[in-house]
Amino acid sequence: MKIRAILVDTARELLYRKTLIFYFGIVTLTHLLLLLALQTDVANGVITGVSLFGLEGSANPHGFALGAGGGAPTDIDAATLVRGIQIAMTWTLYPIGVMLGIFATASLIPHMLEKGTIDLLLSKPVSRPVLFGSRYLGALLVAGANLLYFVCGVGVILAFKTGVWNGGFFLAGLLMTVYFGALLAFLVLVGSLLRSTTIGIMSCAAVYFVSLMVAFPHANADWPALLTSKVSRFTTQAVVEILYHALPRTYEIGSMVTSLVLNKPIVSWMPVFWTLLSGAGALALAIVHFRRTDF
Amino acid sequence: MALVAEGLSKTYTTGVGRRPVQALDRLDLRVARGTVFGLLGPNGAGKTTLVKLALGIARATAGRVEVLGRPAGDVPIRARIGYLPENHRYPAHLTGGQVLHYFGQLSGLGEPERSKRVEALLRRVRMDEWRDTAVRRYSKGMMQRLGMAQAILNEPDLLILDEPTDGVDPVGRREIRDLLLEQKARGATIFLNSHLLSEVERLCDRVAILKEGKLVREGHVDDLTRGAANVWEIDVAGGDDARLAAALQQAGGPGIPPPVPGRDGARTLVVTGETEDLNRTIDAVRAAGLSIAAVRARRESLEDVFVKIVRDGEAA
Repeated sequence: MKIRAILVDTARELLYRKTLIFYFGIVTLTHLLLLLALQTDVANGVITGVSLFGLEGSANPHGFALGAGGGAPTDIDAATLVRGIQIAMTWTLYPIGVMLGIFATASLIPHMLEKGTIDLLLSKPVSRPVLFGSRYLGALLVAGANLLYFVCGVGVILAFKTGVWNGGFFLAGLLMTVYFGALLAFLVLVGSLLRSTTIGIMSCAAVYFVSLMVAFPHANADWPALLTSKVSRFTTQAVVEILYHALPRTYEIGSMVTSLVLNKPIVSWMPVFWTLLSGAGALALAIVHFRRTDF
Repeated sequence: MALVAEGLSKTYTTGVGRRPVQALDRLDLRVARGTVFGLLGPNGAGKTTLVKLALGIARATAGRVEVLGRPAGDVPIRARIGYLPENHRYPAHLTGGQVLHYFGQLSGLGEPERSKRVEALLRRVRMDEWRDTAVRRYSKGMMQRLGMAQAILNEPDLLILDEPTDGVDPVGRREIRDLLLEQKARGATIFLNSHLLSEVERLCDRVAILKEGKLVREGHVDDLTRGAANVWEIDVAGGDDARLAAALQQAGGPGIPPPVPGRDGARTLVVTGETEDLNRTIDAVRAAGLSIAAVRARRESLEDVFVKIVRDGEAA
């Protein structure tokens, strides 16, 4: 009952702050645009023509020809076209969707820690880890549901319009939600340490870009040779490796999402495990700090 | 005991390079069950820190604090505690009714009992008409009334209130006082932090005064306000000063200062000493054929005692 009460209150607060409604509005608008902009001609269960934002594709013996007037025939089939649209959506809205979720939930922990609010919450028979964990879970459920709403909406609209159901796109949505959960853990960690909404958002953006950047030097074994000083080489290498292992695997998750959408085999699921571990570590640190703090 | 503090100390370390602040210094305090206990002290004396330590909101640097027989910070025991913090904030997105339901749920109150209590309390604090209004639209007084309802929602054995009448008008203060007396009649222990000394004097059985984190005085309100010696005032009606002076000379005993003019032409005598001295003076005045209009014990107000201790540094 207590956890449910905190979850419901978290959802109410997110709705009250309107950032989530704004997020929901953007996603719904994207769905509507796609619904209106994507037109397909289906004859006997086969797509004979596709139009997306005025870009037309028509059937020919080789597949689809894109561009005004048909143009030269290419070998793009309907499934490839749908996946192409999904990849474009994923690459564009993957970071936007995740960051909108972060904006929407960034104030939850700093607000909870305000004087007069936290005193009252801590006087109730709810342990600190349960209080903090429920708050995190509430944010994850509400913002994660919005992310899934976006992905599933796009997937369903494309499927109905084209007749091509791509299960990989829905799986990619789940993967995005996992990644969002990890990033949210860093957000609540910073929120707990510094009690600032703005710094929380900035930190998440930093985690996102830094984790993306360190993936490249990590994958390239030769780059340390460019540094002549032993100390610099060791220090830089250590920093890169620590960051790579401590932060979510943004680059690898992005690659996995692409593979899932394109129905390519996933080489390794380990980045998901490491991302989950990274998020769990950040959340555990946040809870430990919250438990030990005097208010 | 409802609350026991033994050698309780709390030092706040505020940051690198800053001096640590000692909020409480080896405090010993015992609050008996079923009493109304007032905690007084100037700003920064450590009153709120003591409450926070008792509730586990902050942790002691040294010593121990026990609440209702359990160590501070014990989670299940909090179901038997009601708390109204100073400058409390309720989630702005909730209405008054939702606030009570939310905190009732956190206290472990299930349905249908919770709804029954919420409705009854909203009526009791005259907030039932504002049940569906968002708390961000409430005035300070309304917030305090809602806060009181929230604090007693779980019918606590120990009620801890930090400035409950802050920002409340005289009528509201009276209502809160009545509400607290109801809680006392129910058997609850009330621990009151307040700057309104007249309220504390009216409500509390015992009070403690903190200064710079140390307990400087503790006892029954009557004991604290009685002062160092017994002092009485006798209003003598009518008669002339010469007869009164002769009567006082006859009474002898301790030196009685000359009478001062009182109301309606009366003279007021101030007698300091034991009960015997009072009776001897009354007998002498009556024997002189003078009429006594009133006899009353002179007491200091709690405010007088508080100011003496806090400002003048009177020893315990």
